Amino acid sequence: MGRSRLRFLGRRVRRGADVMTTAVGSFFMKHRRLLVIAVPMVWLLIFFLAPFLVVFKISFSEAAMARPPYLPLTSWEDGRLLITLNLGNYQFLLEDPLYLLSLISSVQIAAVSTIFALLIGYPMAWFIARSPSRRRNILLMLVILPFWTSFLLRVYAWIGILRSTGVINNTLLALGIIDEPLVMLQTNFAVYIGIVYTYLPFMILPLYANLSRLDPALLEAAADLGAKPATTFLTVILPMSLPGIIAGSMLVFIPAIGEFVIPALLGGPDTLMIGKILWTEFFNNRDWPVASAVAMVLLAIIVLPLVRFRRARG
Amino acid sequence: MNERQSPSDMPWRNGSEPFVRIVDVSRSYGPVVAVNNVSLDIYKGELFCLLGSSGCGKTTLLRMLAGLETVSSGRIEIDGQDMAGISPWDRPTNIMFQSYALFPHMNVERNIAYGLYRDGLPRSEVTDRVADMIKLVQLSGMERRKPDQLSGGQRQRVALARSLIKRPKLLLLDEPLAALDKKLREETQFELVNIQEKLGVTFVVVTHDQEEAMTLATRIGVMRNGVIEQIAEPREIYEYPLNRFVADFIGSVNMFEGVVSETDPDRTLIRCEDADMTINVSHGVSCSPNQRLWFALRPEKPEISRHRPENADNVVEGVVEEIAYRGNLSIFRVRLKTGKQIDLTRTNQERSAEEPITWDDPVFVSWDAASGVVLTS
Amino acid sequence: MKRIPLLSIMALIGFIFLYAPILSLVVYSFNESRLVTVWSGFSTKWYGELLRDPQILGAAWISLKVAVASATISLVLGTMASLALVRYGRFRFRELFSGMTTAPLVMPDVITGISLLLLFVTMEALFGWPAGRGLLTIIIAHTTFCMAYVAVVVETRLINVDRSVEEAAADLGAKPLRIFFDVTLPSIAPALVSGWLLAFTLSLDDLVIASFVAGPGSTTLPMLIFSKVRLGVSPDVNALATILIGLVAIGIAISAFVMTRNGRSSETDA
Repeated sequence: MGRSRLRFLGRRVRRGADVMTTAVGSFFMKHRRLLVIAVPMVWLLIFFLAPFLVVFKISFSEAAMARPPYLPLTSWEDGRLLITLNLGNYQFLLEDPLYLLSLISSVQIAAVSTIFALLIGYPMAWFIARSPSRRRNILLMLVILPFWTSFLLRVYAWIGILRSTGVINNTLLALGIIDEPLVMLQTNFAVYIGIVYTYLPFMILPLYANLSRLDPALLEAAADLGAKPATTFLTVILPMSLPGIIAGSMLVFIPAIGEFVIPALLGGPDTLMIGKILWTEFFNNRDWPVASAVAMVLLAIIVLPLVRFRRARG
Repeated sequence: MNERQSPSDMPWRNGSEPFVRIVDVSRSYGPVVAVNNVSLDIYKGELFCLLGSSGCGKTTLLRMLAGLETVSSGRIEIDGQDMAGISPWDRPTNIMFQSYALFPHMNVERNIAYGLYRDGLPRSEVTDRVADMIKLVQLSGMERRKPDQLSGGQRQRVALARSLIKRPKLLLLDEPLAALDKKLREETQFELVNIQEKLGVTFVVVTHDQEEAMTLATRIGVMRNGVIEQIAEPREIYEYPLNRFVADFIGSVNMFEGVVSETDPDRTLIRCEDADMTINVSHGVSCSPNQRLWFALRPEKPEISRHRPENADNVVEGVVEEIAYRGNLSIFRVRLKTGKQIDLTRTNQERSAEEPITWDDPVFVSWDAASGVVLTS
Repeated sequence: MKRIPLLSIMALIGFIFLYAPILSLVVYSFNESRLVTVWSGFSTKWYGELLRDPQILGAAWISLKVAVASATISLVLGTMASLALVRYGRFRFRELFSGMTTAPLVMPDVITGISLLLLFVTMEALFGWPAGRGLLTIIIAHTTFCMAYVAVVVETRLINVDRSVEEAAADLGAKPLRIFFDVTLPSIAPALVSGWLLAFTLSLDDLVIASFVAGPGSTTLPMLIFSKVRLGVSPDVNALATILIGLVAIGIAISAFVMTRNGRSSETDA
């Protein structure tokens, strides 16, 4: 093929592209704003908001041996529309103490884990924020890095560490510190570790963002005015990092409440967490309406801190 | 301000015991020497200015006094007490930061009270002292405001109040007026001096602004490259700079480079090639014959006239090249035949002189044999 | 300050806490014994076993397809969402819109999973679409929660883009679409790359949502791993984990290399 022919082809392709760009362009120009807003908006309305309505609806229906395994809310009888709202699922949740207990236990486990994540994450965030800027990016990278490897596998790794023939027990036994293996796996302790471990980066990053903006001159000013380091921490650093503490705690606390994988893998049979209950109702008992009701309750618990969190973020 | 003290108030003149002693102090960061073997005495009640351009080590020296920077070598004594190993929170000094470093989460009152609470004073005493201080710095009515609700000038006063409230033996101020606009800066200069006189606290002020230093200071230390070039009262620094750097840094100056052609105890002649003249100086200079040196002449010293003045010690011919009208005075730039330029100022006392000197006029520039300084370095 | 040693020790413990489990996975993946935590010699036999397991390879292939598709779609949707939020000021239902783009970040997986499944079931009953559950439903579900992450990452970058550069382009005669492709897109490119990678990782990582919306024959890798792991530790999962960690490490190394070559400061917003 001659070189000129190639060039001709190239020109044609380019001209075609130009025509297309102008066509797309003029359409885009006219409806740009609408398009950019509407496309993600519609997607979210259908696949994020509408599902909640469906769950809400199904939480009022009755379970049945059918496909899908619940009865419709509406039926036609004598030419009239009948809507049957079945409050039984919610009543069931209230009557069986299992659900209330698991709710309380979920919140408690999430809260304890959040506190531990804060206690571990705060010094790390402060350390990174105070490091020379060259080292800072590397340390941040080190915090984020585990996040990029499989969450499931990282939780799984703790099984190997915590179980009775695991790394910790083997080490302690070999050193003669203990005579019998400690029971750590399948306890709430293991769940705390799993949650703290998984969500630690979510605690550190907002804290770091906050602490790195803290003007070092403020700390010098406090020292100069007679504050020892501990006092400086309590009177200046801590109050000023409160927004970071709140943001980080929310990012750990809210998803931890509904956590399923961690209690399923690390917790024991008596580890009650609402996410696990929902899973069991859905997959083992195939009671979709009760599972929906549990989801609605869980959602209600999360919405409150979520709204406050959004407000705090401005 | 320079004349506010009688000689008996000037302890550096009568051999009193210094209040702050800085002895051979150095500070280096790796290979960079920020402060190089500085020795300096500061006396009680002084308002001492460390003057220099950015990076000259003045702020590092100040921070070493506050204990925020460690001393690589040398010794700092305040009121007879060696400061080595004493943490900033235990030092009898307080510092006012250039950025003010006000605590953004505390209101004005809490910011000012912060230092007193650290000393464990009872609440009632703290409240009283804070109220007095707020009155002194004229912040009444602002007690409950947060720093971001204050103007620059108000913030500056909060910072001043916060650092003063502990009645430190030594108050350190890092560019205290740099963040204010020109007008406010001038007002605040006098306010600062008033407060300092009222409280009798010893001040050390770091500044890059020579006018500010001249206005505020009892004495000035001019710094360059980590070294103090000269320590003297403002008038002395202006009239008798020790070297070309100080002469040039403080105010403006016409510099003549030349060679000594004759020197007696009460007369010196300097042959200056670039002005094609021999400069008459009315005092002796300790130097070897034919030594290269410099003659510094402040622009307000020489006279300018259309006709050759009689009995003038030094006269040189030139042409007016530039005139800048500054309101209270005018600056003339005269080009000599050799091409050298001399700047001189004239106060504009009459609204219109009968026939004012103007551009391209041939003129004579003359000055008294006593009106310049000879510099050997 | 004197506190620094104590602080360094605390930070060091934190980093050990972050990396010890990962390290133990890698070490024991080379263990000969089936008893995972009892060391009985170096071996790569679990890798061999892993690569011969058609179930794992099949699940990995499904996960990869899902991750590429949902990362790509969520990149487009998430970028649009962030453009709308950063550039279009006020519009109707803006509050609802911004709420919907950030809420998935903290929404528990079980809720997202069950609600999407029930939606799919209802939609199938009403419109006959999507017919059954499989790859398509997983991709839709993953796109929905991944686009929130993309939106946040791109948003942080967009806010920092100097608008005067775009105005300069407009002043020099570029039309809006041209400006977008010539100026805006290149300046948010790093965020787009990290947004896509983040979405890809999250999709590849998801167990709970996929478990709800997957159908027969669309078992993803995490679902397979979960069913294996539930029965206890298994050495081939360790080998799999090591391979994944290795891939991530290589990816990070490449991106770090590219970033230093471009002389850009790394802005990881994840």
